[in-house]
Amino acid sequence: MAGASSPVAAWARNRRREAGLLFPNLRRDVAFPLAGAVVLFAAFVGLGLLYTLIVEGASAEKLITAMFIDAIMVIGIQIYVGNTGVFSFGHIGFGAVAGYAFALFAIAPEDKYTRIPNAPWGLADVEMGPLPATAVALGVTLIVSVIVGIGLGRSGARTGSVAPTVITLALLFFTHEVAASWNELTGGERAGLTFGIGDTLQTRTPIYLALLAAIVLALLFARSSIGRLNHAAREDNLAARAMGINPVVQQTVALLLSVAVVSVAASLRVYEIGSLLPEFFFFQYTLLTLVMLVVGGRNGVTGALLGVGVITAVRESARRMGSDGYEIFGLGLDGNLDWVFREGLPTVLLGLAMVVFMIWRPNGVLDDWEVDAWLWRRFIRQKPPTEAVEAPEPEALDLSASGVSVEFGGFRALDGASIDVSNREIVGLIGPNGAGKTTLVNVMTGIVDPTTGEVHLGEMGLTSEPSHAIARAGLVRTFQNLRLFSSLTVRENVEVAALMASVHRNGGTRADIDAIVAGAGLWDQRNRRAGQLDYGNSRRLELARAAAAAPAFLLLDEPTSGMSDTESLAMVENVRRMAAAVGAGVLVIDHDLNFITGICDRVYCLDQGRMIASGTPAEVQAHPAVQAAYLGEAAQPGKDRT
Amino acid sequence: MTELVQNLIDGLGRGSIYALLALGVAVVFGVMHLLNFAHGELITVSGYAAYAAFSNGWSWYLVAPLIVVVSVATNLLIERIAFSRVRGSSEFTQLLTSFGIHFLVAAIFLMYVGARVQTFAEPGWIADTYSIGPIRVEVFDTVVIIVTIVTLFLTAAILQRTMFGLSIRAAAADFDAARLMGVNSDRVIRGAFALSGALAGIAGIFWLMRAGHTSPTSGINPMLSGVLAALIGGLGSLKGAVIGGLALGLAEVMLRTWLPGTAAALTQGVVFSLIALLFIFRPGGLVNVAHAERV
Repeated sequence: MAGASSPVAAWARNRRREAGLLFPNLRRDVAFPLAGAVVLFAAFVGLGLLYTLIVEGASAEKLITAMFIDAIMVIGIQIYVGNTGVFSFGHIGFGAVAGYAFALFAIAPEDKYTRIPNAPWGLADVEMGPLPATAVALGVTLIVSVIVGIGLGRSGARTGSVAPTVITLALLFFTHEVAASWNELTGGERAGLTFGIGDTLQTRTPIYLALLAAIVLALLFARSSIGRLNHAAREDNLAARAMGINPVVQQTVALLLSVAVVSVAASLRVYEIGSLLPEFFFFQYTLLTLVMLVVGGRNGVTGALLGVGVITAVRESARRMGSDGYEIFGLGLDGNLDWVFREGLPTVLLGLAMVVFMIWRPNGVLDDWEVDAWLWRRFIRQKPPTEAVEAPEPEALDLSASGVSVEFGGFRALDGASIDVSNREIVGLIGPNGAGKTTLVNVMTGIVDPTTGEVHLGEMGLTSEPSHAIARAGLVRTFQNLRLFSSLTVRENVEVAALMASVHRNGGTRADIDAIVAGAGLWDQRNRRAGQLDYGNSRRLELARAAAAAPAFLLLDEPTSGMSDTESLAMVENVRRMAAAVGAGVLVIDHDLNFITGICDRVYCLDQGRMIASGTPAEVQAHPAVQAAYLGEAAQPGKDRT
Repeated sequence: MTELVQNLIDGLGRGSIYALLALGVAVVFGVMHLLNFAHGELITVSGYAAYAAFSNGWSWYLVAPLIVVVSVATNLLIERIAFSRVRGSSEFTQLLTSFGIHFLVAAIFLMYVGARVQTFAEPGWIADTYSIGPIRVEVFDTVVIIVTIVTLFLTAAILQRTMFGLSIRAAAADFDAARLMGVNSDRVIRGAFALSGALAGIAGIFWLMRAGHTSPTSGINPMLSGVLAALIGGLGSLKGAVIGGLALGLAEVMLRTWLPGTAAALTQGVVFSLIALLFIFRPGGLVNVAHAERV
């Protein structure tokens, strides 16, 4: 017993637990990606070296070296753009920061005296080896990226939003302008900084090491729980927050990792070229790296590397044909093609590639195909779980909203509505269109701030908390208009929710994802993308995903909308089973009275923002105010609406 | 005081051009949610057209309308070839499409005309000034401001009083709803690109008069100014675009005067960073356009 409680053992246990949280399945999320990284590295470097064997000479060597460095850079950008879906123009700006920091520290003092004798902070006298200089560049760039990251987080960066484009573009321009005009520090726009002859990178070893490290890092990150949470937010920011994910935190981690790789790549680039001008890290290089990223597929490391290879090959052939005539690898072209093969063709091809791929295949050739995931799917047979999920007995808990009012402009969507739900019952919320049902759920889940009123979960006040905090407290919802993480697989959709729950709800223990998937009747579909599911299965998946988040309460917004009668009957079973499996109370909005009476213990009825009735389904149905709300004042009792 | 008024006039002159460019960006953003990084290429293309016309002995009076025509035609062509094919795609896709076109156009001129800067004669009156009390006003700024005001009135009239303007405004407010109400989306989008091209053309006349040259990369600066001004104005808002353009022009002139020596070279960078700060604290821009998401 003594051994188990020793600090060392406790430390080791904690480490294991943390590793388990970061990589849910060590074989799938660590071993396979590592193997995949080695395969990718070997293939990419092998092809590059093969080229230098076929085409001999210094220029071919130079080309391949540059390609390896571009690959590190593009992988660095991929870690952020691919995983978060947030578009960044600024990564080359980070590259500029790192490049200048590296050059200022790594260039020998006697070479600096000729260009920048008056450099501020005595930088001209600094003498440092390339390795420590890279570390300095990394540190400086990370500080800048923390500042930019805070700004991006503050602006609510997400897929498709404009703010990150502006902020990152500003970074790119600002660094360029500083580099071009601060002559004492950077040598200015014309002269720049130059290494002494023979002081530049002489061997490819550091490039190989950095490339391998970048591939490993990128693959591991994509498989880590942080990477997976990023993917969820990339697919649907709002739904991710409603599952308890705080995208800002995940995106910032992605940004820091990505900038670290970019700054190493930038240092290597400067060290290899042996000089540095502001234009080295500006629009042209941004275009090149972005084209490389999107042609292969920005959502995967394999795609990024494919893009680097293909674009390097295309550019080089275009350049050679432009300068050496139309012959490459002994392949001659007849006719007068002067109008095609001339200077400027490589840039035309880059622009063309960008436009053509955006029109034809915006996700690139490979999209998010990844070698480790493919190997896993191909060779590891998964068996469906046999045992049913057990229901833990939950402690009694009440969810209540009291006196909630919401005004949109002059319109009162909710007018002092109150509702109480215990976690041992299933409660329905009905009401005609526009009664305020969804608004009430939006208030309870932090998507809409109430004008007045409060929301409590047990003793805990949830009013106006951010969505992700409310989900972590145990309120998880589904959406009327289905918000799945559409390019993730069915299983990944559930897994993301379970990951969140394991960190914020269950203290490190993870729900049995396979059991939840199987329980929802989706086992055969588990490796399909959520976006490919039919409507009924999509609804089932949304419910399963919500259940995997280990909620104390499930808030279901019209789970049967658009379903046939038989389908909604099956949904009754499905909701009951899921709620029992996770021990959650349910608040369900629906129009379908058969569904509501079939499933609910109690029902509330909203009309024009006010709660007009509550009680058992039969009581509410017979309530005169309810009939009036649904059928008009002159309604006859006894008619129901389906 | 005199200096302030002087700067104000300079800033308004500069800002007027930006306002026209920004309005063009905003009109297109309104109908297809595309942030058009290729907008500046209209000025590159019309710049080369102007250069060709001058080589054939045309005068500015003939070249000015030519610039507008070329600009409109180019924008319609770009829409037809590229943007019509990414309509409804993700913002990411549309953004990169426009980024690609921006480079493609520049590279085509680089390939077939060469990197050399092509100069042409500025009109004789461009440096003329006249005095109002202690303030010296450029004839050029005056012309720019007047033409911009007229153009804005015309644009407003088109947007307010014609069926086409109504459809554009409806589409900017809610494209799907507008379509369901029978607005022909093809025609509206093409119309928006034509309008945007015409505005860029008018801005282009002044831009080229002032610059007196064109080169493959001369589209970058007008593109940045237009996009930035539209961003300041909140993108979807047409009024915001005009305000954004004027604000950007004034800010540039003021910063150039007030920033100390070496930092004055950083004007654009500082403006850019201010805009980044604006977006960090008000992600919707100065004039906030509500894009509510239905859940």
